[in-house]
Amino acid sequence: MSAAPIRSGSEYDPSSWPEAKQNPGFAGDSGEFVQLSESDIRGTAYVGQRPAHGGHASVAGTMPYQVATSRADAPLFTGEHEDRLEKVIGRYPDRQAALLPALHLAHEIRGYLAPETMDEVAGRLQLPPAYVRGVATFYTMYNLAPVGKYLIQVCTNISCNLCGGDAVLEAFLKHTGTEPGEISANGLWTVMEVECLGACGFPTAVQINEHYYENVRPESVPAILERLT
Amino acid sequence: MSYPYRHPSEVRLLSEHFGNPQARTLKGWEALGGYKALRKALGMTPADIVNEVKASGLRGRGGAGFPTGMKWSFMPKKEPGTPHFLVCNADESEPGTFKDRELMRWTPHALIEGCLVGAHAINSEHAYIYIRGEFFEAAQIMARAIEEAYAAGYIGKNIFGSGIDLDLTLHIGAGAYICGEETGLLNSLEGRRGEPRVKPPYPAIAGAFRYPTAVNNVESLIAAAQVVENGAEWYKQYGTEKSVGTKLFCVSGHVKRPGNYEVPLGFNFKEFIYDICGGTPSGRAIKAVIPGGSSVPILTADELDIGMDYESMAAAGTMLGCGSVIVMDEGVNIVKQVRRMVDFYSHESCGQCTPCREGTSWSSKILKRIEQGRGTPDDLDTLLEISDNMSGKTICVLSDAAAAPIISSIQKFRGDYLA
Ligand SMILES: Cc1cc2nc3c(=O)[nH]c(=O)nc-3n(C[C@H](O)[C@H](O)[C@H](O)COP(=O)(O)O)c2cc1C
Ligand code: SF4
Ligand code: FES
Repeated sequence: MSAAPIRSGSEYDPSSWPEAKQNPGFAGDSGEFVQLSESDIRGTAYVGQRPAHGGHASVAGTMPYQVATSRADAPLFTGEHEDRLEKVIGRYPDRQAALLPALHLAHEIRGYLAPETMDEVAGRLQLPPAYVRGVATFYTMYNLAPVGKYLIQVCTNISCNLCGGDAVLEAFLKHTGTEPGEISANGLWTVMEVECLGACGFPTAVQINEHYYENVRPESVPAILERLT
Repeated sequence: MSYPYRHPSEVRLLSEHFGNPQARTLKGWEALGGYKALRKALGMTPADIVNEVKASGLRGRGGAGFPTGMKWSFMPKKEPGTPHFLVCNADESEPGTFKDRELMRWTPHALIEGCLVGAHAINSEHAYIYIRGEFFEAAQIMARAIEEAYAAGYIGKNIFGSGIDLDLTLHIGAGAYICGEETGLLNSLEGRRGEPRVKPPYPAIAGAFRYPTAVNNVESLIAAAQVVENGAEWYKQYGTEKSVGTKLFCVSGHVKRPGNYEVPLGFNFKEFIYDICGGTPSGRAIKAVIPGGSSVPILTADELDIGMDYESMAAAGTMLGCGSVIVMDEGVNIVKQVRRMVDFYSHESCGQCTPCREGTSWSSKILKRIEQGRGTPDDLDTLLEISDNMSGKTICVLSDAAAAPIISSIQKFRGDYLA
């Protein structure tokens, strides 16, 4: 199925886009770079499974932010998650500095930050609730409302835009049957536009939950969705 | 074929090991000669390190190009009980920039070394790496590498028996371009909204947690460690007299081979785009090039026969910035692309300063009108007036950055606006 809408102008003219599969940003295969596996590109073999307790305190704040297993009613800071937060707090001269890591952790657990979740974070760190809400709403990675199991964020900033970012966005919307920001009927997908992901040489860059997909073309969208389901 | 495309004109000091998964591991990194810089630095006094980096002429790679050694020399004398902090800026969110992520995901131990060398140079016992939240995969690789280095005793207490203690903490951002601005970054690190601070005081006096702090870009720190390891004279063999060394250039947009390329500063820009990056995929002529990230003035195809160094770019009326080259071919509608950039700045403005907050949103509206063919003859003058009002009047230079593409595109691509 051809997903790319018919447009004029070179932004939508694939002949002006660099060849897909040129660089090993991962979009389902590693293109010409046969010596590199997906694991090599993403570093998954080296990283292994990061432990729920956060590993060494220096890096306990390395949170995945958005995962497919989040649950809106899961308890917040218990067990290994509480251990992780304790370790993080110990790395800064004051407790307030652990606010972003604590919000990340809450986001990872619940998938978004409801006002009550922010208040719980405030309680845990002994910060004023209004302050925590003010900080949480400043940052774009925190969803303030639930999203689908997979949050698909398509970069439409300049470099990706020059190489089909808008068409990739449209392809994701079309194949998930959604409008931007809404949850698909099966609960699986939410598609949004995002600002530059810092992967501009691998256009179009797409972030799906915590992972990047790069060199994405409109025609590669169905395979990516299939891989996730 | 190795990753990314290697070109014979490249000089790979920073990027030699991109695409080699072995280089990620502590063992692999040491086998490639890693951790020599740290060993050497811990045997030097902080003042000697600062002097060496100063002598090399290395300039910050995060955008402003301020000399790294000089920045470190502004740190006050260490007083007992007053901690100093080194903060590595790994927020990388200037549209067109994707070098720090590559450095971190392929050579994490290089950044660890860079941070520890920098920390020792400014008498800091604790360094933070502030990495943008979207870079989860790169952050995980950094995390694993930091754990390995702690386990080996390369970070922590009494490193290599030197009696020197250095800690390193990874801090994850949460999505806000403005946190790349160094004082916005410090506020964010402290658990606040990432709003830039009024300067002075500068971070060297009151930075992270109000203590003396140096904020350095990822690439700057890795280059500084190489300078310490190999000496200033070694580094000065690359580049020009005033723009010393090599630099990673991130190329995106309409080129055959986008990606990161490392060349000595001063390399010919035209040769770079046509030879190294292969020119345009469509064979169409190049229309415009942004040489240093979305915040710098645009060049036309006729203005490319210049050196890729700080001075030549400034002489051409633009900036080297963070080395992010965005190429656009003849099919591009400049108004649309400028509008897209201004939308970005409007979205990312923290809102503290009126000229920035209002200026970006007005400009965006006017640009959209022009793009849709509903512009009025006065619109260009209004845009220039707004842009003028946005430049040099705000807490940080995001506002100036948003105005730069508007002003330069109206000057150079007036035809696109009138079409
Ligand atoms: C709006 C804005 C965004 C910035 N974003 C970044 C960034 O993402 N990464 C970076 O290293 N520097 C960024 N900077 C520059 C930093 O303020 C600072 O100059 C830099 O981190 C200093 O490091 P250097 O001397 O090693 O270049 C930004 C500046 C501004 C005004
Ligand atoms: S110039 Fe813009 S981004 Fe910078 S502090 Fe002012 S309002 Fe915020
Ligand atoms: S412009 Fe899309 S990742 Fe930078």
